[in-house]
Amino acid sequence: MSAAEKMSRRDEMETLLPFYLNGSLEGSDLEAVEQWLASDPAALAALGEAEAEFSGTSAANEAIRPPADALSRFARALEAEAGPARKNESSSWLAQAWGRFMAVPVGVAWAAAAVLLALVMVQSLVQPGGKGKDFEIAGTQDDLAKMPFALVKFKPGATMSDISGFLGDNGLKIVGGPTADGVFRLGIPADTAGDYTKLLGLIAAQPFAESVIEGRKPADGG
Amino acid sequence: MMAATETDRALVDRVAKGDRAAVRLLFMRHHARVYRFVARQTGSEMMADDIANEVFLELWRQAPGFEGRSEVSTWLLGIARFKALSMLRKRKEDWIDDEAAAAVPDSADTPEIVTMKEDKGAALRRFVDALPEEHRSVIDLAYYHGQSVTEIGEVLGIPVATVKTRMFYARKKLGEALKAAGYDRGWP
Repeated sequence: MSAAEKMSRRDEMETLLPFYLNGSLEGSDLEAVEQWLASDPAALAALGEAEAEFSGTSAANEAIRPPADALSRFARALEAEAGPARKNESSSWLAQAWGRFMAVPVGVAWAAAAVLLALVMVQSLVQPGGKGKDFEIAGTQDDLAKMPFALVKFKPGATMSDISGFLGDNGLKIVGGPTADGVFRLGIPADTAGDYTKLLGLIAAQPFAESVIEGRKPADGG
Repeated sequence: MMAATETDRALVDRVAKGDRAAVRLLFMRHHARVYRFVARQTGSEMMADDIANEVFLELWRQAPGFEGRSEVSTWLLGIARFKALSMLRKRKEDWIDDEAAAAVPDSADTPEIVTMKEDKGAALRRFVDALPEEHRSVIDLAYYHGQSVTEIGEVLGIPVATVKTRMFYARKKLGEALKAAGYDRGWP
């Protein structure tokens, strides 16, 4: 009998709790944990302890800050590996603009973001069906019209690397802004109102978020 | 979340066709997590920087062979893990040890006094950091990277049963450390 097979029921449930919390548990394991949580008074306390571990582990990881210039250095390494980009590659000007954008101070970068966004939107208007390959800040007009969104204002001290990393990690896109008040429109990749609310909570919890206002929710209305 | 996964795969398909903008998008999406994973594996942010860059160059090279049998994030973490282990084996310079040594808090306080000065959350974070690498990896992959038992097995190259055993002992050690610090949580 293996060590895993020798575990008591409590041991087994404690082993599965991290996977219950991260949402990856399924089938009989998920059923067993849910039954345990519903039937054992000690289980909810155990879940609380696992949540504390979840928070502690996330904090330990988030404390590690990747270098702000990682993307621009990677772009150079990629160019060395793959050769210079073709001149007719439709998005090459955006790649260069993005590299410069990541390298400038935040205040200047936000102003540049507005200009770049305007350029991308103009490009999509004058080249319907054209492929913008480089940017996560805008999709097609159809995408923009249908996508759930929220209005977000970032703190003045927010860094581009923090924000772009967070947006990328969560599939979020800047689809408009900034306004004169510095408000951006963020595309929210949520299929349900529940997912939408969760993502808004996540955005609001970020240290660089000053305010988050609900915009269009997914069609289920939740 | 499925839509985001499909988008990752769609981007890998574009990378396979030589679309370098797609690899930059994947970099923006996954770099921070890959970097943190390697930094936690090796204890060196310098190595993490090099390896994380290499992981995405490897993505550029290997994209045509990606069969989509695992999530893109799992695939990237697996590449990162392999490269970190290779580099750790190759590099025997003193600076690795120096960096690891520098990471150990230099305090005149005993561990008990250090623990009394901090709250439970801070203590827990310190205990997670102090776990042996094989245990901390499964904790990081489950709690921070959101990986399933099967995916952790793929990243670390170990059987599912071993993932569970490591998780069991990792959490048991955390519970024992908390108990020793005066925070009894009822298990183990």
